[in-house]
Amino acid sequence: MNRTTITLVGLATAASLAFTACGRSDDAGAGGEEQGEAITDGKATGTIEVWAMGTEGEKLGDFVEDFEDANPDATVKVTAVPWESAHDKISTAIAAGEGPDVSLIGTTWMGEFAEAGGLMPTPEGLVDEADYFPGAWQSTEVGGTSYGVPWYVETRVLFYRKDLAKKAGWSDAPTSWDDLKQFAKDLESKGGAKYGLNLQPGQTGSWQSYLPFAWTDGATLTNEEGTEYTIDSPEMAQALDYYTSYFDDGLSMTRTLDPGELESGFADGTFGSFISGPWHTGLVEEAGLDESDYAVAPLPGKDEGMGTSFVGGGDLAVFQDSDNPESAWKFVQWLSEPEVQQDFYDEVGDLPAVQAAWESGELSTDPQLKIFGEQLGQAQSPPAVPTWEQVAASIDGLVEQASRGDLSGEDAVKQMQSDAQSIGTGL
Amino acid sequence: MSRQARQPGIVDPTRRGQAVAGWILASPFVVLFLVFTAGPVLASLGMSFTDMRSTDMRTPFAVQFVGLDNYVDLVQDPLFRKVTLNTLLYLVLGVPLTMGIALAVAVGLNGLSRSRGFFRVGFYLPVVTSIVAVSVVWKYILRDEGGLLNAALGWVGIDGPAWLDSTTTALPSLVVMAAWRNFGTLMVIFLAGLQTVPREQVEAAEVDGASGWSRFRFITLPALRPVLLFGAVITGIGYLQFFEEAFVMTKGGPLDSTRSVTFFTFDQFGYGNYGYAAAASYLLFLAIVLLTFFQFRLLRTKD
Repeated sequence: MNRTTITLVGLATAASLAFTACGRSDDAGAGGEEQGEAITDGKATGTIEVWAMGTEGEKLGDFVEDFEDANPDATVKVTAVPWESAHDKISTAIAAGEGPDVSLIGTTWMGEFAEAGGLMPTPEGLVDEADYFPGAWQSTEVGGTSYGVPWYVETRVLFYRKDLAKKAGWSDAPTSWDDLKQFAKDLESKGGAKYGLNLQPGQTGSWQSYLPFAWTDGATLTNEEGTEYTIDSPEMAQALDYYTSYFDDGLSMTRTLDPGELESGFADGTFGSFISGPWHTGLVEEAGLDESDYAVAPLPGKDEGMGTSFVGGGDLAVFQDSDNPESAWKFVQWLSEPEVQQDFYDEVGDLPAVQAAWESGELSTDPQLKIFGEQLGQAQSPPAVPTWEQVAASIDGLVEQASRGDLSGEDAVKQMQSDAQSIGTGL
Repeated sequence: MSRQARQPGIVDPTRRGQAVAGWILASPFVVLFLVFTAGPVLASLGMSFTDMRSTDMRTPFAVQFVGLDNYVDLVQDPLFRKVTLNTLLYLVLGVPLTMGIALAVAVGLNGLSRSRGFFRVGFYLPVVTSIVAVSVVWKYILRDEGGLLNAALGWVGIDGPAWLDSTTTALPSLVVMAAWRNFGTLMVIFLAGLQTVPREQVEAAEVDGASGWSRFRFITLPALRPVLLFGAVITGIGYLQFFEEAFVMTKGGPLDSTRSVTFFTFDQFGYGNYGYAAAASYLLFLAIVLLTFFQFRLLRTKD
């Protein structure tokens, strides 16, 4: 045997040994796991390392002083992580087993990180599930086990130009699908808007504007246990047909808008209304509108009342590899207290996930905020499965095809179902 | 030390000493290369034969070995077929266009005696400009209503389409933008190549009464052959890995009509399908090797 042959044989042996060591064990990952044991009473101690993104990351450092005052033996070390790199940073930390103790986790990432075994199940009795908006709590549950606590939330509501609506003969916001359609038509014909209601015609994130209509119609994405997709339903199809009719009737623009186009178009009367989240109140006011020029309203129900919206936001989770889990959970518990949630709203502007925080202060009196509070009571989050991003991308693509009139609602949801089935839940 | 002295099995001690010293001196590079280049490349190749997902990060060896399943699935994936077709379109539209423009501009500049430097910098500028800044401008140019291009077409009575929102015009629009953005590099290379064209031959041909086109076709082009080969190879590799323009301009839409293989791989990594994504990138790698091989065969200097 010459040297090359020996090297090759050696490599092949090593490779086959490595592969025999491979193979999945059935009990790995999330689902069916018990909640963690209850934490003890008493004060937090030691160093608690916290990662937070965006504004939360910048402001949390000063905000935790109260916690440190109450727990003199504990030090909270906050690291601000940019949102763009947060996903990679957290997954690397989980892979290496060297993460922080606590981190802010985007709601749609919960499935992936919990399934990877990086997050600790929420201890029994840490917080009361009933204190939270139900849709927000839903985002922490992976395979029936909760892996964190909702921190802040956001939801989508209807934004409309009050003056144009008045000109079109509407003093109140529409409260049914038929009304909403008429509202959009009137905004165009009588109110002078070029597009009555702007919806997203496919592309990334359009599932967030389409699914609220489906949820309002009573559709569900998975069965009760979260193990099977149930996307192919008449309700989903009907909601999609209703959604796409806005493009067919010329009530919504058929192309994706450039950044900033929606706000400036809303301000100059091109768009009479649109559906979006709380950050848009600031953006449209920057674009030159006054709080008296526009209003927000809950999404309309199908026949009457309030519809179901989308709830997103951030959860707080403790890492499996945390050196100081007891104190980490105590810190999470502190951030979940209604007064602290309210203070954090005052500081950062994040809407609290704990319902009691909405009962006093600005959150209970401001008419705009009250609408968001109301809508949060009736909002859902997508299933917390590791493959959600991929399923969502397929929904985005099919919404686009349906919006262009290439597919009927029925065929589109059939395709969504078969895509989702072949992608699987990943649990 | 004589070559004859070296018998199989007997190693000259001096040679061995030199070899050891050589390896010690090379070891910093060898170690870095093995750890940071060869290691990841081999690991990703191995990954492409497993069903590894992002959720397996903590237990990377507890994954299933699936053989060629990922590759078989890819070939059957309708989206992968579509992005492959798109990538081929980028290649066959983009390479000739980019090389054509670069060659034309280089020949033109070569004939200039003044302000050549100014134009060279001007044409090279898009290469060093940030793609994000460029995309904003191009979006305005290609916009449906009030876009620069459609306004210009309007003057001659043509009603231009919404370039980036139609499944037929989006991809060619991106090719034009990519050609504009990338031809500068080739132009500089071609300009340098043109300096090597033997003057005497050109002058001799001129004296013999050869037309400008004939001189270009029968003297300049053959002399440029090695430079053209180099240009074709790097441009071809660039277009096979087409990504940035589609990412910032269309996000792969409308209806995936501008999504390329690299974009597909990027998406799959994003979804956490590491095994599948690795397999897709190795198929692309294979395509690049094949393309480069054929370009060498086609354009190599004939003896």
